[in-house]
Amino acid sequence: MKYSLWPFITVAVATVIIYGSRRFREVAQRLILPLAALAIFVSAWQFGCDLKKYELRSPDGTIRLLEVFPTPWQTVVELGRMVTDGTLLRYTVASMYRVAIGFGLAVLIGIPVGLTMGWGARTFRALNPLVQGLRPISPIAWIPIAILWFGVEDASAIFLIFLASLFPIVTGSFTAVHTIPSVYVRSARNFGLRRFELLRYVIFPASLPQIITALRLALGIAWMVIVAAEMIAVQSGLGYVITDARNGNNYARVCGAMVCLGALGVFLDYAIRQLQRLDEVRWGFSKV
Amino acid sequence: MGDATQNDSKVVVRGLGKVFERKGDGLVVLDQVDLTIAAGEFVCLLGPSGCGKSTLLNIIGGFEKPTVGSVTIDGAPVVGPDPRRVFVFQEYGVFPWASVWDNIAIGLRHLPRAERDARIHRYVELIGLEGFEKTYSSELSGGMRQRVAVARALAVSPDVILMDEPLGALDSLTRFQMRTEILRLWQKERMTILFVTHDVDESVQLADRVVVMSPRPGRIAAVVPIDMPHPRELGSPAYAALKTKLYELLSVTHAV
Ligand SMILES: Nc1ncnc2c1ncn2[C@@H]1O[C@H](COP(=O)(O)OP(=O)(O)OP(=O)(O)O)[C@@H](O)[C@H]1O
Ligand SMILES: [Mg+2]
Repeated sequence: MKYSLWPFITVAVATVIIYGSRRFREVAQRLILPLAALAIFVSAWQFGCDLKKYELRSPDGTIRLLEVFPTPWQTVVELGRMVTDGTLLRYTVASMYRVAIGFGLAVLIGIPVGLTMGWGARTFRALNPLVQGLRPISPIAWIPIAILWFGVEDASAIFLIFLASLFPIVTGSFTAVHTIPSVYVRSARNFGLRRFELLRYVIFPASLPQIITALRLALGIAWMVIVAAEMIAVQSGLGYVITDARNGNNYARVCGAMVCLGALGVFLDYAIRQLQRLDEVRWGFSKV
Repeated sequence: MGDATQNDSKVVVRGLGKVFERKGDGLVVLDQVDLTIAAGEFVCLLGPSGCGKSTLLNIIGGFEKPTVGSVTIDGAPVVGPDPRRVFVFQEYGVFPWASVWDNIAIGLRHLPRAERDARIHRYVELIGLEGFEKTYSSELSGGMRQRVAVARALAVSPDVILMDEPLGALDSLTRFQMRTEILRLWQKERMTILFVTHDVDESVQLADRVVVMSPRPGRIAAVVPIDMPHPRELGSPAYAALKTKLYELLSVTHAV
């Protein structure tokens, strides 16, 4: 049979559940609604696979219908294989490591640079055109240069992640300083705060909520760029899994890696969102 | 208390004018303002919205430069903000990222630890916020936050406090309590206070003298001494008469 039946049943059940969920308790809603939406997505995926099948004629004359695209189930099976043969762990660690180093460097450099640009009018005038000119260049455009410079090595990918995160962090940091209500700066000046004290007690804490938002944005971009970087500039990591599996015609593995990228992205965003709960910045986020 | 004599005058404003540059022309906000405030005096600045009260206060505080004229405090020209004269901003000057304790500590950061802690304790007690020392100011009510602003200013023992409608954002009950509070603190510490308001009742209850400003360009239209001892009898005929007089002055300056 060409079409599987379960996607239709699943969509029907999920729809009924979503309509009926009004009566559920909040906790139940939080759990069930995303699951229902996920079920519909997976059903659509299966349906899409069923739409495009080809006929395989065996030597004994029987005809079998095979999918062109990997189905959800094939992806799950392949993911299991990736777990047992160790690729998943090894390559996840490789990707995470590169993002950690590249993003970490961007934080260490980007926040001080951004704060300096935000506070010093002359630094801003000098650097802003440069920053704004470099910012729109996709990090992917830097790949050839990165390889030329660092070779097909970790350093290439780390450099690309660094670039991808640096500009959002710098821009976010100086915008944060520019939008500090002047009353805080005036109060601080009134109490004799200058230079380092002003930075430590007012400029930095006042900008921190917006800086954290910029970090969150930058980490999201970094996680997207790691795939492109690893597809071309190195030979390990989840991005590399995708190119490698495609070359080996293992599309289930391509999808498995994509699922991992999504799940890890959610995890990273959750992790960095925890910064918003710090006592020092809660005032800047109306609802965490 | 009447007019300040030459030797105990604290704040002296002479021939002050302020013009804000606009496209094409300039906006004259203050014109020929002369004002002398004695040490330990409580002066209310009363005037219609937009007449330049905040501008005048900001110039005295050293946050803005006058176009013409001069401001001297203790005989020395004002060149910038200074911890000896503290500004209390209308609402948001208290740092939301810091606790009540740390907000008050900000002006005391160079003191030895023991002395600093003792002072902070004293001022927390003074504003009745014991038990809230570690609370972040973003989690306080508007009235509590305003009390922190006042405590933070008092803690550095300034000799001049400039308050720009410090009670404007509060509900009427809290306003009333805060007025009593400010009077109590002033009677205790005897600093010089310049207090901006557009509430006639507030000015009559608090001030030694009420300075009435005219609409833009802001000039000093009248100076009304309030010669009544504290605590003032808010229902007394003298009190009502002064309020009527100030209302009249305000509406006359409006009509001109
Ligand atoms: N930085 C500025 N640049 C240009 N114009 C300004 C500036 N600050 C104030 N003004 C103008 O100066 C005038 C007086 O402003 P100011 O804030 O001193 O009034 P105010 O008496 O404090 O009024 P309110 O009671 O409403 O607070 C207003 O017309 C305002 O538009
Ligand atoms: Mg004002």
